[in-house]
Amino acid sequence: MYLRVSSKGVYMELFTLIICGGLALGTSLMVVFARNTVHSALWMIASFFFTAVIFLLLRVQFIAILIIIVYAGAIMMFILYAIMLLNVRISDSAKSGMKISKITGVVLLLLLLPVLVLIGMDQVIPAVKGDVTLQVMEKFGQIPVLSRFLFSEYLLPFEVVSLLLTAGIIGAVFLAKRR
Amino acid sequence: MVEHQSIYLALSALLFVIGAAGAITRRNAIIVFMCIEIMLIGVNIAFIVFSRATQSVDGIITVLFIMAVAAAEAAVGLAIFVLMFRKTGTINIEKFNLMKW
Amino acid sequence: MVGKEIFMFDNVWLIPLLPAIGVFINGLLGRRIEQINKSIIHWVACGSIGLSFLVTCVIFFEMLGLPPEERLYEFTWFTWIAGGVLSTSFAYMIDPLSMIMCLFINGVGFLIHVYSIGYMIHDEGKYYRYFTYLNLFMFAMLNLVLANNFLLMFLGWEGVGLCSYLLIGFWFSEEANAVAGKKAFITNRVGDFAFIIGMLLLFTSLGEHGVWSFNFTDVFPSVHLISPGIITAVCLLLFVGCTAKSAQIPLYVWLPDAMAGPTPVSALIHAATMVTSGVYMIARANILYSLSPTAMWVVAVIGALTALFAATIGLAQNDIKKVLAYSTVSQLGYMFLGLGVGAFAAGMFHVVTHSFFKALLFLCSGSVIHALSGEQDMRYMGGLRNKTPITFYTMFIGTLAIAGIPGLSGFFSKDEILWQAFSSSHGHVALWAVGAIAAGMTAFYMFRLVFMTFFNECRASDDVKHHIHESPKSMTVPLMVLAFLSVVGGYLGVPHALGGSNRFHHFLDPVMGLGPGKLLQKAGAAAHHSPEGAHAAAAHHSLAVEYLLMAVSVGIALLGIYLAYLMYIKRRDLPEKLAERFKLMHQTLYNKWYIDELYELIIIRPVHALSGFLWKGIDVAVIDGFINGMSRALMWSSGVVRTIQSGFVQNYAISIIFGTIVLLVYYFLQALS
Repeated sequence: MYLRVSSKGVYMELFTLIICGGLALGTSLMVVFARNTVHSALWMIASFFFTAVIFLLLRVQFIAILIIIVYAGAIMMFILYAIMLLNVRISDSAKSGMKISKITGVVLLLLLLPVLVLIGMDQVIPAVKGDVTLQVMEKFGQIPVLSRFLFSEYLLPFEVVSLLLTAGIIGAVFLAKRR
Repeated sequence: MVEHQSIYLALSALLFVIGAAGAITRRNAIIVFMCIEIMLIGVNIAFIVFSRATQSVDGIITVLFIMAVAAAEAAVGLAIFVLMFRKTGTINIEKFNLMKW
Repeated sequence: MVGKEIFMFDNVWLIPLLPAIGVFINGLLGRRIEQINKSIIHWVACGSIGLSFLVTCVIFFEMLGLPPEERLYEFTWFTWIAGGVLSTSFAYMIDPLSMIMCLFINGVGFLIHVYSIGYMIHDEGKYYRYFTYLNLFMFAMLNLVLANNFLLMFLGWEGVGLCSYLLIGFWFSEEANAVAGKKAFITNRVGDFAFIIGMLLLFTSLGEHGVWSFNFTDVFPSVHLISPGIITAVCLLLFVGCTAKSAQIPLYVWLPDAMAGPTPVSALIHAATMVTSGVYMIARANILYSLSPTAMWVVAVIGALTALFAATIGLAQNDIKKVLAYSTVSQLGYMFLGLGVGAFAAGMFHVVTHSFFKALLFLCSGSVIHALSGEQDMRYMGGLRNKTPITFYTMFIGTLAIAGIPGLSGFFSKDEILWQAFSSSHGHVALWAVGAIAAGMTAFYMFRLVFMTFFNECRASDDVKHHIHESPKSMTVPLMVLAFLSVVGGYLGVPHALGGSNRFHHFLDPVMGLGPGKLLQKAGAAAHHSPEGAHAAAAHHSLAVEYLLMAVSVGIALLGIYLAYLMYIKRRDLPEKLAERFKLMHQTLYNKWYIDELYELIIIRPVHALSGFLWKGIDVAVIDGFINGMSRALMWSSGVVRTIQSGFVQNYAISIIFGTIVLLVYYFLQALS
């Protein structure tokens, strides 16, 4: 157990959750609202960090680490690279031409939100539960458990994903090379 | 049943909506791409919650795959942005509206 | 029905088929053949008619070999319509009436085909086209008279109307000719419309009594089952068709204009064959007409009136062909008069004799026109007696025949009709009087024609005078044959009063349901009093009355001839003086009683106006407007809808979100309830 449940700790998790959750949301909002593109990228990295904490709270440490390594480490580097390559500093200099549809879209989203939240709050998970409990994960370690499933049941998607990544590399190289 | 499950799910929903709002509002292609990543993060949280709640490992595997796909998507997408910039000198997606009537 | 063992009866289909073969050869290959050798065309055409005439003769003589009560044979060629109750076949009926018609149609037709060779060979119209249409006409006409059912007869009926249109407008590059052809066809169409309604009315009313057939042998024995009102209606409707086809009042107006066609066409179609199809139809349906005294009376009155009316117009015309055209209308009136008073055989007899002398007269006029290089106005003719002798003598014979001079065919047939008009139980002395006056006028205007054309000095222009020549042999030989027939043909029907046995009349008895034959009388009939009644009534009037009437009609004819002699030979200033004194009368007669103008006013203008309205008001504005409006609406709506595809990716994302909301709300609400 990485976080002990003590009489003080019962609320520790909740507290951490709310703080980190709020910060994750806040930084995401800053990504959306920042005027400078580089600032948006930086806020994004912060958001990933807080999201990783949330994953930790959910006891999937492996995924948390992966978030930092893959998302914050690799993908954000890509994006920063692209920002600098494309010399984009100030975005949205000209007036937007689709104001009305964008406002409509945001309104729709604001309608979507309660729907999702309500659905989320209403969930009753069925009684049938699998056998990979927290204790199992702790006993064997997360990576062994995951890898056991990854290389047996999910072997095909695994291989396909590798193909996908290869295709992605080839595509990227081909698209970006100069004639 | 995960503790405070509803908070996790509400968080997931909020992240998704924020990401979607950014994706449809901003005009810079790279910012749109980043907002899509935010949406994917929100979805990841929901998957993990449900995976934990049913005590199975399916959701976590799915998250792994989502991340792999996001990486590939980043590579190809940014390559396309580079091409777009080379062609027209801008990556304002409102300028790329030729596939219409 | 006997006849199986008779050789030719089963080959009766050859009679219409041979002209049809001529049509195919000349029609499809004509253009090529014409370039090779023009005479092949007329060999094919005349040959087919000649062969058809031979077959007709063989069948006729075979039929003569049978006793009168067995002279009815039906042959089915092939099934035309296989439609339940409406099933009809191309089936032919061999009986005295159809054979007589076939004989003179083929015979006179053959002579006219031969004549056409000389007339049309130097014409600028297409040679093969002419003979194709002529053969097509023969095919239709033969089908009409040989048919054993109403539908096939109607096929022929329409076919002859079509060929009439094609041939009248043969020189269609002149607009007037095309208009005349159109007029003929449309007027015929009006009559055909009434004919169809009559025919179908007959069919359905018989069907109510269980007889679903168009065949004559099924229809006529059962017509007494229908109510008298319907019989009268059917008879009148069919008669309207006859007024169009056989040029009676009110639908005769096309016949004078039809003179725009080549003269042999006028001879064949508008003198001898097509216009007699109405008479044939009524003679064939005599059982039907005998059941309706009203219809018979209408037929007789209209016939008599037409005879008089057309004769008055013929008095004042100057075009040689127009005079003959009105004379045809008038003579057709005589035939209908004969039919209307119950003397069906007399009407048919006049058909036969009229075909001889009228064809002769038309062909002679064609010869005159040919000699005068196309001149048709009699005021510019004259003095041809010595220059074209054969034409003169044959035409003179024809004129004597039509005037009803004793000894020639016209006398016997016309006289029989007049006698029946006076004495038959359906007849009336007024009808006889009208007929007699018309006979006098006929004699007058026909001799006027002869005097103006052949006597006195030649009033043609000088270069026309230089080219006057007698027609070639191919034209004069038919003239001589027809002249011979005009003299001799009458002796078939010498009435009892003059010592003859009236062979013609008795020959047709079985068709008319008299005598031992009674061919179409299978079910016993109430239908037959009337012709027998006519005989009985005729017996009342004594022989003396008959001789008296005969003398009166000959006297009137001689009076007409004398008047014509007076006005056109002796005192040549009389016509002008009379025209001056009776100016109004003369103008009316010359302008055909302004009937064409009247029709133009009360029928054609309103129809034009109506069709103009239907065109501009409904077809263009409503129907086209509706269709165009639909397409415009479609284009507008698609113009609106296509803006959805704006090309902006973010708009697409918004629509995805919208769809997601809808779906989620739906499922959420479902889960709730």
